[in-house]
Amino acid sequence: MSPLNSSHTPQLVTSEGEIIPDGWTLLDDEDTTGVDGPYVLGFDRALRELDGLNGHYGVRVNPADDVRLLLPFIEKITLIEVAFPGYRDGRGYSTARILREEGYTGAIRAVGDVLRDQLFHMLRCGFNEFLVKDSDPAGAIAAAKTRFTTFYQGAADANRPAWALRHNA
Amino acid sequence: MYVYDSFDHTFVRERNAEFADQVARRLSGELSEDQFKPLRLMNGLYLQLHAYMLRIAVPYGVLSSKQVRKLAHIARTYDRDFGHFTTRQNLQFNWIKLADTPKILEELAEVEMHALQTSGNCIRNTTTDQFAGAARDEHTDPRPWAEVIRQWSSIHPEFTFLPRKFKIAITGAAKDRAAIRVHDIGLHAKPEGFDVYVGGGMGRTPHLGHLIKSSLPGEQLLSYLEAALRVYNRYGRRDNIYKARIKILVSALGPEEYARQVEEEWNTLDKAKIDAPSAEIVRIRSFFPDPVFTDKTFDRVALERAQIADPAFARWVKNNTHAHKRDDHVSVTISLKPVGLPPGDASSAQMDVMADVADQFAYGELRVSHEQNIILPHVAKTDLYELYRQLDAVNLSTANGGKITDMIACPGLDYCTLANARSIPLAQDISQRFADAELTDKIGDLQIKISGCINACGHHHVGHIGILGVDKQGIEFYQILLGGRADEKAALGQITGKGLSAEAVPAAIERVVQLYLKLRTDESERFIDALERLGRDTFAEALHEPA
Repeated sequence: MSPLNSSHTPQLVTSEGEIIPDGWTLLDDEDTTGVDGPYVLGFDRALRELDGLNGHYGVRVNPADDVRLLLPFIEKITLIEVAFPGYRDGRGYSTARILREEGYTGAIRAVGDVLRDQLFHMLRCGFNEFLVKDSDPAGAIAAAKTRFTTFYQGAADANRPAWALRHNA
Repeated sequence: MYVYDSFDHTFVRERNAEFADQVARRLSGELSEDQFKPLRLMNGLYLQLHAYMLRIAVPYGVLSSKQVRKLAHIARTYDRDFGHFTTRQNLQFNWIKLADTPKILEELAEVEMHALQTSGNCIRNTTTDQFAGAARDEHTDPRPWAEVIRQWSSIHPEFTFLPRKFKIAITGAAKDRAAIRVHDIGLHAKPEGFDVYVGGGMGRTPHLGHLIKSSLPGEQLLSYLEAALRVYNRYGRRDNIYKARIKILVSALGPEEYARQVEEEWNTLDKAKIDAPSAEIVRIRSFFPDPVFTDKTFDRVALERAQIADPAFARWVKNNTHAHKRDDHVSVTISLKPVGLPPGDASSAQMDVMADVADQFAYGELRVSHEQNIILPHVAKTDLYELYRQLDAVNLSTANGGKITDMIACPGLDYCTLANARSIPLAQDISQRFADAELTDKIGDLQIKISGCINACGHHHVGHIGILGVDKQGIEFYQILLGGRADEKAALGQITGKGLSAEAVPAAIERVVQLYLKLRTDESERFIDALERLGRDTFAEALHEPA
């Protein structure tokens, strides 16, 4: 038997399959924003403080958070971490799509219970960074990007749905 | 019927390759059972009491003869020589080996079939009227729309991990044969657009769907569904599996508030990116023309003569045919409810015969009904007797369409890990009790629906008589509901009195039926009508007190 693939330490990989270091620090609510940024703020703290802050921040969005509340401060946000506390909680997919529909162009990072078989859906919903538990994160991204060449619906990615290709719409 | 183009073929092939890879990783141990479970479920693979069960999608219940032959072949090669047609118009094989599934899916792909999204917390097979495109009372053919939805919902990236499963049903006729008000979303296709009902469902907490939108243009159906699903995906409960269906959300918010949120979400969407253009709808619609109807003239006298000469045939014609939009055709119900056998099962040999008669008499087309029967939607009346004789030769001529023995029953404790009680043996006992043809006909239309647990797969909430299996301290017994219906006058049945033992149920039902026969105004007053006129209590007493 092979070892459980998800037992590997999570690694950060981009939608281009590049393994990157994580330069961000997730702040606890009581931590002060010093000079050692960049920082990821909790959702409620971001709502409270972003208005008065300068510079660029990341925000951690949990499944129940309404990401639209961040829109007034979106210019100050360059990273949104969407948390998947469990594999089967799919709210984060809507979070990412809403962000892309609203024109957010920064990084959307999936964190938490992120496994190989979710990457396809995440890529289509607009995620572009993944803290994934896999022995071969780059290979997992490559597989997710090549597994399908036909798509039945428009989403946040550049893939055109079958109906668009059929009618050149 | 819809024919795959290169996009559709490629999609299924790619999806099968993905699943084969997932199976391989499970077999090698790279995936835990817990991780594999949602993946296999999205491909219709359940772990049942004794083996894997594979549920194959029959999109909106439409099958070609070629597909039915393939299903027979799969039953013969990989299962125990039979298959089980389900209330969701799908087909289940109950004795499958995990390692065989990729090969089975490959075989299915050869005939444009798959097992995609037949389980899991995603958008399931869209179901519809089994007489679609044929029924005399139809105003809009729902099949093209069901196909539009099938494509849109296939591996929808945002809606693959919903709080719970999601079922859509469409009707396009005056009579609702698709039970749209007990679905998560029920659509009534009308010439002026769709009526959208949301939040219906059965299970532990049954609800009837609420109308939240009228006259929705077909060209905007998908974006509206996308908004409806997004509100559900974001706000549906995930803390309790029994409160995770959309009916609970709609009931907590109130239908008006849910509708408002959907409308608001819909307004934010870039509809042009989501809604398939008219040209695509026209293309899909072009796959559902009428068959080239036979020019054989209908010999009415010959048919009448055959009915006089063969009373069993006459009875079958009366009970198992449905009005067709053409006077010289009917739709035929092939009952999979022979007396004393499990509802919905068909052997490989029977499937082959159904495929053959479909080619010979029904333009090669078959349907699965949510009542777990097979339908031949277009049959020339002139061919009825020959069709009947061929069906009769393989025990497929049971003349009980819509009658008391045409029961819906879930697989129950004989197969299912969730069940509290057996369903199939009880259905068999009831059908034995009412085996008498004359009695069956005298009773007329009466729907009995049996579920082996409160998950309600046997639709007991909407049976005229519903039967719910429960387990109390290790003893199976059955609660009886009266007055449910899933048609255009949808209503939920109500539990009457204490539960009964399996042995007591058939006699109790007979007492209710005898009371109905005594009290009805005349033959035209059906059981459900009499129940409405006289009230449930009248009949509930008969259930629980020996007459």
